[in-house]
Amino acid sequence: MNPADVAQSALPVSADLSIFGLFLQAHWVVKLVMVGLLVCSVWVWAIAIDKTLLFNRTRRAMDRFEQAFWSGQSLEELYRSLSSRPTHSMAALFVAAMREWKRSFEGQARSFAGLQMRIDKVMDVTIAREIERLERRLLVLATVGSAGPFIGLFGTVWGIMNSFQSIAASKNTSLAVVAPGIAEALFATAIGLVAAIPATIFYNKFVAEVNKQSQRLEGFADEFSAILSRQIDERG
Amino acid sequence: MKTGTTISAAAHVGVLLWAVLVFDVKPLENAGAESIPVDFISATDFSKMTEGVKNAQKQEAPKPLVEKQAERKPVTEQAPKITEKQEIVTASTNTPPPEPQKAEPKPKPEPTPPEKTEKVEKKEPEPKADPIAEALKKEEKKNKEEDKPTEAKAEAKPVPLPQKKPPQPKQPKFDPSQVAALLDKRDPARHAATGETINRTASLGAPGAEAPELSQSELDALRARLIQLWNPPIGIRNAGDMIIRVRMLLRPDGTLAGPPSVLTSGRGAMYESARDSAIRAIFRGQPFNMLKPQTYETWKDIEVTFDPRDMLFRG
Repeated sequence: MNPADVAQSALPVSADLSIFGLFLQAHWVVKLVMVGLLVCSVWVWAIAIDKTLLFNRTRRAMDRFEQAFWSGQSLEELYRSLSSRPTHSMAALFVAAMREWKRSFEGQARSFAGLQMRIDKVMDVTIAREIERLERRLLVLATVGSAGPFIGLFGTVWGIMNSFQSIAASKNTSLAVVAPGIAEALFATAIGLVAAIPATIFYNKFVAEVNKQSQRLEGFADEFSAILSRQIDERG
Repeated sequence: MKTGTTISAAAHVGVLLWAVLVFDVKPLENAGAESIPVDFISATDFSKMTEGVKNAQKQEAPKPLVEKQAERKPVTEQAPKITEKQEIVTASTNTPPPEPQKAEPKPKPEPTPPEKTEKVEKKEPEPKADPIAEALKKEEKKNKEEDKPTEAKAEAKPVPLPQKKPPQPKQPKFDPSQVAALLDKRDPARHAATGETINRTASLGAPGAEAPELSQSELDALRARLIQLWNPPIGIRNAGDMIIRVRMLLRPDGTLAGPPSVLTSGRGAMYESARDSAIRAIFRGQPFNMLKPQTYETWKDIEVTFDPRDMLFRG
């Protein structure tokens, strides 16, 4: 083939290699993959931002609550001030335990026998609920982190397959003909990685954060349970 | 969750916009490989490369030996020549003159003849490009020179002009009597090596260039043919002692002009059988068609070496 012909035929092909151009030239399957991965990326970052804010809020709330709890303030007063509005994490734990305690004392029949066990159960349930709240949507991050590259790879494989078919049809193997199709296909992998890398990083970070906070909750629950147990024994 | 989604979506849109704006594709700088001028030379050309003289001065680039300076042919002058010819051949300039002769008074014709003669003279010193045209021109020139006296008269009188013109349209016609003029009359005996500048001293030459009279390809072909036919006895001990040089006299058609003579000598049955085999190979190998008749002078008397070590190498 004449080099001049090659150059001429290559010109229109390589005209648009910008990111938008790559997307528009792609096969519809590849387009679908790209759009899906873009949505995933948006979703991952939304979750990440949301979780970061949530964890910060929770940590601050815990700090504040612990400060109030250990300040020597009367537990009754603390309970009254907290139970008026919905609470989260440690405060919720405290409120649930105190509610159970108060119910056992304010009722007609004083039932000390199973009080300790009931309080533990209530606190366990509250901890589970709190952890569930912290952990919610982390699975999305895990899924995107592990499946994103594969989805991107699928798009790439499909795009390369497609471009090789085009090459076979055009019977021209010059790089100018091959390159745009491959660039466009690789773009899918790039988007997949862009979505998956933050997802994996954030997932690991958040799992660690959830573990830390749940341990803190459990520690407080044990401590509070010990305090209440002492009270029960003293009164009983 | 709402704030997170909003921030994330906004950030993605921003990044995409930035990518679209910033990531413009620049074509790679095509450094490319430097183009190397390549000449195709045949094996013969290669073997005829300038042979050096061992005691020559060292030069930067070996120059070919030039005995005669080549003529610089004026290439650019060809174009005007063609236009001039056309001007003269066209009948428009030829036809008007007869009319003025009849009708116009004498003052008018006088300026015209100089024009004509000018044109004719202009044509004569035309630059020569190709030998055929050159030869034709020479013939014409002779005719012109014969006509010159009449031309001179013509300047005085405008009347003979039309008579002189007719021969010119005849020019493109093929004249069998002028065929001899088409022939190349240069001396065929010797073609000196020509070049732009005369260079009488041979340079050192290219290392390893042999400049044999016989081209390497011809010699190789001859050698291959003889080796193929030669069957030295199996089990030669000292292959170095078995080298046999044979001188052969050849006819232009490649056949032997006489019995080949063995130049080396040796003893032993082995040597004799090898020698006889070599002679047989020469007889069987003729005619040696691979030797070109053009170079007969170089191979009419040739020495061939039969070396068993070559055979060993050839496996």
